[in-house]
Amino acid sequence: MNDCKNKNNCPQAEACNQQEQHIKSDKKSSSGFTKELVKGIITVNPVFILILGLCPVLAITNTVTNALGMSAGVIFVLLGSNIIISSIRKVTPSMVRIPVFIVVIATFVTILSLVIEAYVPALHKSLGIYLPLIVVNCIVLGRAEAFASKNPVLLSAADAIGEGIGFAIALLVISLIREIMGTGKLEIFGKQLFEVPGLSEHPLIFFISPPGAFLVIGVTMAILRLAGVMKYE
Amino acid sequence: MFKKFLSNKAYPIIFLTIIVAISVILLVVVNNITSPVVEARRMEEITGNLEKIFPDIDKYELKDEIYFVYGKDGEKIGYAFTASGSGYGGVIDILVGLNSNFEIEGVSIISQTETPGVGARITESSFTDQFKGLTINDIALKSGGGKIDAITGATISSNAVVSAIRDRMSEVLDTLESSK
Repeated sequence: MNDCKNKNNCPQAEACNQQEQHIKSDKKSSSGFTKELVKGIITVNPVFILILGLCPVLAITNTVTNALGMSAGVIFVLLGSNIIISSIRKVTPSMVRIPVFIVVIATFVTILSLVIEAYVPALHKSLGIYLPLIVVNCIVLGRAEAFASKNPVLLSAADAIGEGIGFAIALLVISLIREIMGTGKLEIFGKQLFEVPGLSEHPLIFFISPPGAFLVIGVTMAILRLAGVMKYE
Repeated sequence: MFKKFLSNKAYPIIFLTIIVAISVILLVVVNNITSPVVEARRMEEITGNLEKIFPDIDKYELKDEIYFVYGKDGEKIGYAFTASGSGYGGVIDILVGLNSNFEIEGVSIISQTETPGVGARITESSFTDQFKGLTINDIALKSGGGKIDAITGATISSNAVVSAIRDRMSEVLDTLESSK
């Protein structure tokens, strides 16, 4: 189960090593739960540090509403799959662990998709293909392989919540910038919160187009690094 | 005993089968709960959209993918059909209402994924209202000899709507003619 360590080209290798150090120290400390929780938000932030799951991040951060919906979805799937995968980790044969992870994750995603389609159809429509694509979101599978399959249930749940919140914060920051710059107003679930005079008549449409997403993510990362809020350890 | 079972060669197969079985059962249950809700919502959505075009609608009948719309007195007040075209950012679904003279009564965009602020303006009434009262021969962009003004900067989206409506409308008129 150490393939993450052995593969130099694994994009998570650095994060994995970092996590393993965390795990070692957590075994003795009682504050493991909060540690795992906070870690996902700052030091191992999935979007700004691990740079994982960028495809949905680029695609659905054009409005804050989409970002919130997507974040809630990813937190639900992450939490569900991390808990299940962690609780069956001792009986899961390592030979079929990836198919098992995928089945567990796909089950949660399909449940989520069915429920959203039934009760929040507007969100289902605007998330479109990116909702089922949570199945292949590298954050979810990444946490399953790198964390949940090696750690007890409670810590895995904390890890899921932390990573989920980290993902949500990243999405929120990017979508806030993109929506306000790109439309001149902020609208959450159909309710308009405020309008920037001048900008709303002549919005910078570039920001809600795909290239705008790249620019906003890149600049946000650069600013965070520059400010020293987030850096590789 | 248990450990021996875990190291059995067939164990991975058994384990994966169990996981898949549990997943299937769970999904069947959830789907059975949500599918009536989804179905009911879809019907509601269609009625709501038809109401936008025909405020006097009392009920509708679906035949050959054409909605026959009836008013309060039970008389036929028009027809409606859905058309879909591919725009700049994906599929555009349109609901079109016809009056009994086969002129367009109203057009409503049901779903679209065009660029917000540009192509997405096809949903605005300044665009859709242009279709009111037109017969099939007038449904083309002005540059193509018709009566529809394209949205500035969104010719692809505008054209997608126009040609989707025109193509589907000629099919629908054929069906209605032949069923007379």
